[in-house]
Amino acid sequence: MRTRPLAKLAAVGVIGALALTGCGSSKDDNGSGGLSGGGGSKDSNATYTIAFEGPLSGDNQQLGINEVNGVQLAIDQANKDTSLGFKLKLLKADDGGVPEKAPAAAAQVLQDSTVMGVVGPSFSGASQAVGKKYGDAGLTIVNPSASNGELQDQGFKTWHRVMPNDFAEGPAAADWLAKKAKKVIVVSDKSAYGDGVAKAVSDELKKKGVSVINQAADQTTTKDYGPIAQTVKQSGADALFYAGYDAQGAQFAKALKSVGYNGIRMSGNGVKSDVFVQGAKADGEGWYMSCGCQDATVAPAAKDFASAYQAMFNTPPSTYSPEAFDAANIVIQAIKTAKESGTVTRQAVNDAVSKIDYKGITADIKFAANGDLPPGEGTVNLFQVKGGKIVSLGDITQAP
Amino acid sequence: MHPVQDFLNFLILGLTRGSLYALIALGYTLVYGVLQLINFAHSEVFMSGAFGSYLVVNSVVEDGSRPPWYGVLAVIILGLTSGGLVGAGVAWCLERVAYRPLRRRGAPKLAFLISAIGASFFLSQLFGKLFNRLNNNNFPSFFDQNKHVVQIGGVYITLMQAIIMVSALIMMVFLDSLVSRTKLGRSIRAVAEDAPTAALMGVNIDKTISRTFVIGGFLGGAAGYLYGSALFFSNTMGFIPGVKAFAAAVLGGIGNIRGAMLGGLLLGVVEATVPTAPWYKPGWIGIEWTDVVAFLVLVLVLVVRPTGILGERLGRAA
Repeated sequence: MRTRPLAKLAAVGVIGALALTGCGSSKDDNGSGGLSGGGGSKDSNATYTIAFEGPLSGDNQQLGINEVNGVQLAIDQANKDTSLGFKLKLLKADDGGVPEKAPAAAAQVLQDSTVMGVVGPSFSGASQAVGKKYGDAGLTIVNPSASNGELQDQGFKTWHRVMPNDFAEGPAAADWLAKKAKKVIVVSDKSAYGDGVAKAVSDELKKKGVSVINQAADQTTTKDYGPIAQTVKQSGADALFYAGYDAQGAQFAKALKSVGYNGIRMSGNGVKSDVFVQGAKADGEGWYMSCGCQDATVAPAAKDFASAYQAMFNTPPSTYSPEAFDAANIVIQAIKTAKESGTVTRQAVNDAVSKIDYKGITADIKFAANGDLPPGEGTVNLFQVKGGKIVSLGDITQAP
Repeated sequence: MHPVQDFLNFLILGLTRGSLYALIALGYTLVYGVLQLINFAHSEVFMSGAFGSYLVVNSVVEDGSRPPWYGVLAVIILGLTSGGLVGAGVAWCLERVAYRPLRRRGAPKLAFLISAIGASFFLSQLFGKLFNRLNNNNFPSFFDQNKHVVQIGGVYITLMQAIIMVSALIMMVFLDSLVSRTKLGRSIRAVAEDAPTAALMGVNIDKTISRTFVIGGFLGGAAGYLYGSALFFSNTMGFIPGVKAFAAAVLGGIGNIRGAMLGGLLLGVVEATVPTAPWYKPGWIGIEWTDVVAFLVLVLVLVVRPTGILGERLGRAA
């Protein structure tokens, strides 16, 4: 008897999946999937929801706030556009940036039948945890920041990502480091993101003939970075690459200063945020960061975005705000396309996203079959902390 | 490469960390001594000490200011005292709210545990709500923490490390003589040894327990100040040092004051030196194994000496 509810659930799941694949191709088959819910597509007052999943609390909330603001701005701008023929709403799902909380956040998103697309999850670990769930529900994912280089190969059916992944960013960072250092110590924070970056960077460095030492400091349990900093110093490495996130990066920076490490200190996109700069203060000066993201205050296409963002949130856009803005606009565009061709269902929106060619503020965005940007697309930029600010040094392949 | 020099540098890091563990561990052990229960909210006492002292320190010095040495000393003493007092206050309230009502009603031990965990969550979230939930809060920087005060070859002690070790040492010596020499200490030992008999002999049990919490809270709060100014502070900072300090108290012999000091120092040193050995070649087993090594040592010690290195019992400590 105990298996009964489970069996029922499985049956419902199978039927749902069948229905979804069925309604994906036929336009007049409105709502047959049941999951498409608010698909009264001819109704000009229809309201659709774009969900954001990311950390809105906890250690990494700053990144989530950067992104959710970008999404909010895109939605507000779209709602002012009366020609669109539908209204949009934002659903915020807080996953704390951790895989453990992601399923609950995803369930909250999936429950709402008006949700037509997800911007997020912000973090790789969380994306790993729920990518399949969204995919099975046919709900499109347009990811602004989870950069782990293996996410696109997990068979998530609705995966899209608007920025280059760590297998693009990591080697670019390593190539730059290889020009500067003979011996590099790579420290991972043991998160899905950190391990991915650490591997990508280490492999490329070794390919370039640089000697690599791998170390790790678990971001969830390490509070005192003294010993790892001392290890870095004693390794005699002339450069450090920290594969981890901003808050812990700041603690690491402080400890490195305290042991007097003078080599090049570099990290990936995870550290590039105000949380790092404010946490590390003077000890963060000189840190380099690679990021497959745009500096919204510099990129010419992002000028209007930057001023609108500043006006709305009273703070300048930060890391991944432009990417989230683009991701949300892609979903909006896809809903519009789906509507024009008849039905707004989750599947139709996902199909439209997959085919999109969108000129965003960060890049011209198209998706390859695996949901990532086509190979070679997307620029990796180099940043450095100078005078308490993260300054863009431009394309990393050209950087001095 | 310099194995000895490298080892000594890690040893100093370990002693610094261990001094903090020891200060926190004393809070666990003192309360265990008189009540035979683990005050799982002690990690939040430690956290509140950091926030409390921040408010005071931040109001007297500015970030980036460079007062003369006696000014620095005064601010550090102020930070320690204010952190300690806030910790003591929180611990006192904790005993009043989370423990005494249960004690009066003769509740089972499990009830104390649950109310301690509840109080711990409450305090952590309260501070998150009152201040912020960032994990990167900094104390204002008003002196060069990284200045080398002792330097022999490549081995050095930074100013902050010296401050932590010296102030922890002073507080521990002070506590030791408080417990072994004063009337209050005698009543604490009496309650720890045999509470009903102590009551018959005229010791006010409630008052003694309350004061024990206050003493443990003071040390924990002061540790919160030291930890916060050396590293960072946040509303969730207490959990991991709390668990480690609890382990340290068990390692030394729970309920035993000198045991907690020894256990704390030992755990800190093991954590800093073992995973990084051999000290001249990084990548032996790596820092990510720190917790594994620490708890392995704990298990091994407890297998050989189930009551901890120095044995249980506060009564016998002095």
